Amino acid sequence: MARKRSPARLVIALSIAAVLAVFLLYTSIAGGGTPSVKPSEVRSQTGTVSVAGLVVGPVTGDAYAGGLRFKLRDIKGDSPETVAVLYKGSVPDLFKIGRHIVVDGELKNGTFVASPGSMVTKCPSKYTAVKPPA
Amino acid sequence: MTAALVLGGVLAVACVILVALPFLREPDPASDDLHALTAAERDRLRLAEERDRALAALKELEADHRAGRVDDTDYRASLGPLRREAAEALAALDPAGPATRQGQPPP
Amino acid sequence: MPELGRAALVITLGLSVYALVAGAAAATLGRRRLAHSARNALIGAFASTVVASVVLAVAFVRDDFSLTYVADHSNRSLGGVYKLSAFWGGQEGSLLLWLLILTGYSALAVWLNRRRARDLVVWVVPVLAGICVGFSWLLVAVASPFAVQAAPLDGAGLNPSLQNPYMMSHPPFLYLGYVGLAVPFAFAMGALLSGRTDERWIVATRRWTLLAWTALGIGQLLGAHWAYVEVGWGGYYAWDPVENAALMPFLAATAFLHSVMIQEKRGMLKVWNVVLVSLAFCLSLFGTFLTRSGVVNSIHSFTQSDIGPWFLAFIIVAVVVATALILWRLPLLRSTTRLESLVSREAVFLYNNLLLVALCLTILWGVAWPILSEAVRGQSVVVGRPYYDFFLRIFGLPLLLLMGAGPLIAWRRASWRGLLRTFAWPGGIAVGTGIVLLALGAGSSIPGLIAYTFSAFVLAAIALEFVRGTRARRALSSESWPVALASLMGRNRRRYGGYVVHAAVVLLALGIAGSSAYDSVTEGKLAPGQSLAVADYRLTYQKLTERDTDHATEVRALVAVQRGGKDLGTVEAGKNSYKIAGPDPQVSSEVGIRTNYATGEDLFVIAEQVNDNGTVYFRVFVKPLVNLIWLAGLVFLFGSVIALWPDAREERRLAVRYGEAGSPAPSR
Repeated sequence: MARKRSPARLVIALSIAAVLAVFLLYTSIAGGGTPSVKPSEVRSQTGTVSVAGLVVGPVTGDAYAGGLRFKLRDIKGDSPETVAVLYKGSVPDLFKIGRHIVVDGELKNGTFVASPGSMVTKCPSKYTAVKPPA
Repeated sequence: MTAALVLGGVLAVACVILVALPFLREPDPASDDLHALTAAERDRLRLAEERDRALAALKELEADHRAGRVDDTDYRASLGPLRREAAEALAALDPAGPATRQGQPPP
Repeated sequence: MPELGRAALVITLGLSVYALVAGAAAATLGRRRLAHSARNALIGAFASTVVASVVLAVAFVRDDFSLTYVADHSNRSLGGVYKLSAFWGGQEGSLLLWLLILTGYSALAVWLNRRRARDLVVWVVPVLAGICVGFSWLLVAVASPFAVQAAPLDGAGLNPSLQNPYMMSHPPFLYLGYVGLAVPFAFAMGALLSGRTDERWIVATRRWTLLAWTALGIGQLLGAHWAYVEVGWGGYYAWDPVENAALMPFLAATAFLHSVMIQEKRGMLKVWNVVLVSLAFCLSLFGTFLTRSGVVNSIHSFTQSDIGPWFLAFIIVAVVVATALILWRLPLLRSTTRLESLVSREAVFLYNNLLLVALCLTILWGVAWPILSEAVRGQSVVVGRPYYDFFLRIFGLPLLLLMGAGPLIAWRRASWRGLLRTFAWPGGIAVGTGIVLLALGAGSSIPGLIAYTFSAFVLAAIALEFVRGTRARRALSSESWPVALASLMGRNRRRYGGYVVHAAVVLLALGIAGSSAYDSVTEGKLAPGQSLAVADYRLTYQKLTERDTDHATEVRALVAVQRGGKDLGTVEAGKNSYKIAGPDPQVSSEVGIRTNYATGEDLFVIAEQVNDNGTVYFRVFVKPLVNLIWLAGLVFLFGSVIALWPDAREERRLAVRYGEAGSPAPSR
């Protein structure tokens, strides 16, 4: 009785190769994620980045009209540098001065122009046993 | 505070008793051995599983054929090999038990 | 009373350590009474964890704010049911819930199997005990729910958005799922440790796995529904790491549920099954780790907690132990049967597994890459929606197709002619549906069109299976159609329960495709009297109302809805400002949803911004078919119940096979 080599191993190997190929293709085209930076680092970046920072006033404008303007500074406050942000789109309910937020966008002419609707607030959630920052 | 102490004590004692129970019930048993499967028993299990698989495959083929999932040609093609497998599996599990036949050809 | 709680947890830890050590000794040395004692210790661990849980629950009900945990998550005015749910509202309490379910499952598993497969169960005990040791150690030494303080007058209260029935039930269901995967894992490790290469461990844990998997699925849907109605951004899944944390073990468990069928039918994939169940359990530990430590900066988890490193250690231990055991027993696990054909049901299950695991691993990468990137390169990244959406389509759409194809293909080897026959009807219906949909404009989204077409294929295939099966049954027994259907399903619970679950997955796919590929959105600022149009709806903002309750000030915009000239009533959307003491006045968005039950479509109205001059900035979605997602949950539950239902005949057959419970030796 001729014993056929199990095609299973071949299939698995080919599938893994196929998956890896698709994966590598995707990440090389679409990038391996958006870099996440601090407000003080924004000036040194090009392209779309994700900024996580502390909202500093004054907050002016209307996100649903001409655009909301505010400043962001580093959460871990080493640097007093701030970056001016222009944001249009949905504003999360918890947004306010002193809140930590994350927003995607690109630096244009000194102002960080946010991708519409990309703002997300970080809130002290229910899981906190309020721990003072280290 | 005392209520907590009492309840805690009761809980602790109850748990100790629970854990000691097997030893308290049988302070001097005839055998304290935990039966581990012998090689013969493992073999028997393997054969029993093979038998059940073969029989189940046959039954499923019949059901599939009746329901029309498998047409006559495919049914006939599969029936032979499956029947053979089932027969082999059943023969391997002789009613006399594998212990009497370890490595022995059937009489 | 907190002393009792603390003491009870210490007792649980002690009993778990005993069960681990004594259990391992009993298994190695083959001591029956010691094994029994270790088993009892696990049951005792459950009892003492119950005591600890009752203490905490009572503390919540009685507003005992001397417990820091109670004060942090509850307050006097919190409604009764939510006071109880605040139990798992924070880290320590949810760990206690984990432990409660873990010890409960462990006790039940070892007790149900006390007279069966003793040589296997004797090893299962120390494995389960080891996991219990881990969690009870955390609760005793690292994150105790029974820390005390000088009791404040009132507590901090529960986040209002969590005071929602869906959010209340979401964690318990998820935990029933996460923890449930520990049992098949323990049995798999037990099988490796005892050197048993047969299926006993799979047979013993089949229902456990199904139950855990169902709970995990329902838990995720509850969370998704909460996100949809309560968080209200217009979606139900954001690919947030915490959401992915539950999806990954679910996908691994789904793969496992299918691949054990192959081992059952053909005796293949023994190594793969052990690897999969270990992966599923380790992912569920990882999922708990993700949610509980601040390791990933997601919207939900920001606390840098003490338990992070401990959890990581547990995961590493679990992975190392599982890998070591598998490698050690690898020679024993080689199967003799081979895959005969790439066109067979086994092959389809294999492809299904590969796709599910591929999807699971890409999600894992998406979650882990930001963490790794920060650790290794010092540069953090954010992996966004497009990444996940892409891979969901690449892997998910073929999975959908396979779901329909699998049941139509025969075991071992399917002939092309046979395939053509069985695929004819469902394939034809799918193609026809595709053409009709294309004509109706569904071509605006290619993935959506593909999803719809594949769904039609699967539904047709499932319907065909039911029709064929019932017809065959009637030919045998001349019962009426309904009776024949019922008895068909009764006799083949796993198969037909599985088909119902597949139908649920199709509904899910349709709901997701419809609401994401074919949705419409419009936004704009309206003054009272003004309207905007979205899809074929017309919304007119009428007025603003304000209502004051004990808890909050509720501002609502009243909007009149019309479609095709017909008046459809009103919808309210607005904001709640909660009267909570503290620096953070909480504001939540309350969305207005109008459901069209005939089409499953939702009109989703968000009042983004309510201005002082009475104008409101609205954002309105029309989401076709979105309610199929929630319907899918019910159908999923129904199918699982059918598959889970005890089958006396099967139990007897298995008892005979394993020669247990005093059954006679197999004969002719």
